[in-house]
Amino acid sequence: MDVSQYLEIFLDETKEHLQNLNTQILDLEQDAENMDTINEIFRAAHSLKGMAGTMGYKRMQNLTHDMENVFSEVRNGTIKVQPNMIDILFQCLDALEEYVSSIQETSDEGTNDNEPLITALNEILNGKSAEAPKADAPKAEADAPKAESTSADKWREIKLTDTELDLYKAAKADNKNFYGVTVKIQESCILKAARAFLVFKAVEEHGEIIVSSPSTQDIEDEKFESDFSMIIVSGDSFDDIKKSILSVSEIESAEGATMTDADFSNVADAGKEETAVEAVKETKKEETKPATTEKAAPKAEKKGGKPVVNRTVRVDIEKLDVLMNLVSELIIAKNSLVSSSSTETGNRTSDFNEKIEYLESVTTNLHESVMKVRMVPIESVVNKFPRMIRDFQKTLGKKMELYMSGEETELDRTVVDEIGDPLMHLLRNAADHGLESAELRKERGKPEVGSIFLDAYQDGNNVVIEVRDDGNGIDTEKVKQKAIDRGTITPEQAENMTSKEIIDLLFLPSFSTAQKVSEISGRGVGLDVVKSKIEALSGEVEVKTKLGEGSTWIIRLPLTLAIIQALMVVVGDEKYAISLGSIQTIEDIPANEIKYVQAKEVIQLRGSVIPLIRLSDVLEVESTKSAEDNLIVVIVKKGDKLAGLVVDELIGQQEIVIKSLGKYISKCKIISGATILGDGEVALIVDANTLI
Amino acid sequence: MEELKTITGNDLVQYIVIQIGEEQYGINIAYVENIVRMTHITRVPKVASYLKGVINLRGEVVPVMSLRLKMGLEDDEITKKSRIIILKLETHGTIGIIVDEVKEVITLDSEHIEKVTAEAGATQSNFVASVGKCGAGLISLLDLNVVVSENE
Repeated sequence: MDVSQYLEIFLDETKEHLQNLNTQILDLEQDAENMDTINEIFRAAHSLKGMAGTMGYKRMQNLTHDMENVFSEVRNGTIKVQPNMIDILFQCLDALEEYVSSIQETSDEGTNDNEPLITALNEILNGKSAEAPKADAPKAEADAPKAESTSADKWREIKLTDTELDLYKAAKADNKNFYGVTVKIQESCILKAARAFLVFKAVEEHGEIIVSSPSTQDIEDEKFESDFSMIIVSGDSFDDIKKSILSVSEIESAEGATMTDADFSNVADAGKEETAVEAVKETKKEETKPATTEKAAPKAEKKGGKPVVNRTVRVDIEKLDVLMNLVSELIIAKNSLVSSSSTETGNRTSDFNEKIEYLESVTTNLHESVMKVRMVPIESVVNKFPRMIRDFQKTLGKKMELYMSGEETELDRTVVDEIGDPLMHLLRNAADHGLESAELRKERGKPEVGSIFLDAYQDGNNVVIEVRDDGNGIDTEKVKQKAIDRGTITPEQAENMTSKEIIDLLFLPSFSTAQKVSEISGRGVGLDVVKSKIEALSGEVEVKTKLGEGSTWIIRLPLTLAIIQALMVVVGDEKYAISLGSIQTIEDIPANEIKYVQAKEVIQLRGSVIPLIRLSDVLEVESTKSAEDNLIVVIVKKGDKLAGLVVDELIGQQEIVIKSLGKYISKCKIISGATILGDGEVALIVDANTLI
Repeated sequence: MEELKTITGNDLVQYIVIQIGEEQYGINIAYVENIVRMTHITRVPKVASYLKGVINLRGEVVPVMSLRLKMGLEDDEITKKSRIIILKLETHGTIGIIVDEVKEVITLDSEHIEKVTAEAGATQSNFVASVGKCGAGLISLLDLNVVVSENE
């Protein structure tokens, strides 16, 4: 079977499963008894094994198979989760990741058999004997006997309701029988859903399927492992039915029995119970609740808690880019329609205006929808961090805890892809440089376990990601000393530097203040890369720190990179766009209100002194205004700094499509891009951030 | 191109002949993506003087440079014959160059192309990689990567 065409899907899904496993095993470490987690792990491992097998990656399959064995024993309760087992499992995941990356690069899994891991897994399996009975005994006691049902009579787990009972009675009167059947499909089977469908077909020749577990819908969607159960009403004998089920290929077994009144006895009880409990809340009755309801309740809950498989389509990002470009073109075309209609002021009818407005709202919505399609939660990136922090604990010998919030915050796909590395650098920094050793923390009266926070949230047109630690903070004196030692600054310069300027030194290439180079950080390749990466995404990074209390790194990223709302202005005889995101207010300032501070023009606005920047000077054009005219000042904001941009005229707000100026003109820092106006002219986008 | 090669046994290359001032230059057609009429050029501040700005080429923003200024000649005088030749180069991406006039397309085989050794110090002649013999006349063939590369 040629599987190369599925390689990409395989890689995508494997990565998803591995991420899932990572998260779940971390959870398991916290809560070793959580059955849901164990089941989820088992499912993921099982799917991984199946996928690797189908694609012919034998080594990967072997490893996952052994992992699955361990999970299966954990699930049955015969092995208890041990810390060293978690370690081994994580190593297995790393090994699997290696396989995956090797497959991705060479489409071959490599030759590493990972023997030691497999041996370790088998040892876990064999080591179970001592503990097994102990773990088993209380379990059996706690659960109703039914819970221990073997796979052959899983059909007994099907929850029966009054409807089934009524049908059962009717069937009895009709001289028909109720059968419960559990069908097991061979593990090697690829199209399980199709087989199940054939089984259904076969059964329906004999009678009717009353209920199945999982539901028919889930079976059709292949949301089951290797077996499923159903209850059938039929006039034929069970052997006949069994024979026709087994005639479907790839079916391993079909076990079942005729159902009797006893099977339904619980239903009656349960029904009675439920109404009784609802009507009169008597605690006494709850205590005597029969096993069925107790069994039924968690089962239903489990179904609800099961991650619902999203109805999604995987789309190549390039196709989305094409779509995005087309939407951009459409917006340009719309803008040109708007501008041509506004020039012919004479014959504009209200009807035409209405249609234009309608078109505008449609294109805006279309743009938003396409943007949304491209948006992915940052979850996919930050998910790997808890695991990373766990590894840091071991390598650094520090105790730390990562608290994350806002994982659901969405960003443009291209941004999310790029943001992983910078965040990883910052977390490493926090773990390595930020947090003090346990002894020092104790001395300072801090909790021994250091905390690192990763918070993401949306702020207007920006997404803010904060990495915060409660560690040492940045020692500006140390940084200063280091900079002087390295010759980055002179001692005289150092004297006059503000602490903020000193902290900015950290972002220079090859600057590391770590006393010793460790495996995790300190090679000085970190922060400058962080800064340049984030700036490449038109974002910014900022640090707030307090010595002894910790530091906060704040990353601010634009929601979208392609289309923005902008203010169009005129400087000289040229049109420029300023991103609306950075604009605070627009002010009309009389020329005589300009004051001078250190020979620079400033204005006072609502109590704050704001430096003026004349765009005509910066952009090297002749202003059309004379010196006495009132100034039109656009107040822009970067972080907590403000500046006033003096422009000649305002045109208005417009949705613009950002186009790159290309590599050739990348030298011009103040221009962040260009856009095409409605009349086909190109207008440049002024990057207010670089002016402040 | 492949077909032509098999017929003559020599490498045949097509050149677009352009006029700048009194001289004619050849541009390898393989690099030419488009030839457009003069359109509105949006000036970009703080860039080298030979960079005239950017134009809108069917929805794409393309930088445009003046070949005249790059060669150290007088600034362009825009006439009806002025054209912008859109080049696509591997190292520099898409870029437009302004020329006085586009004359014709000629086909030269490798026999009729001679390499010129660059004279030291003369930047202008570095732009010319080789000379093509076409009938009675000579045409300087531009080395586009040198023409487009940035210099101060």
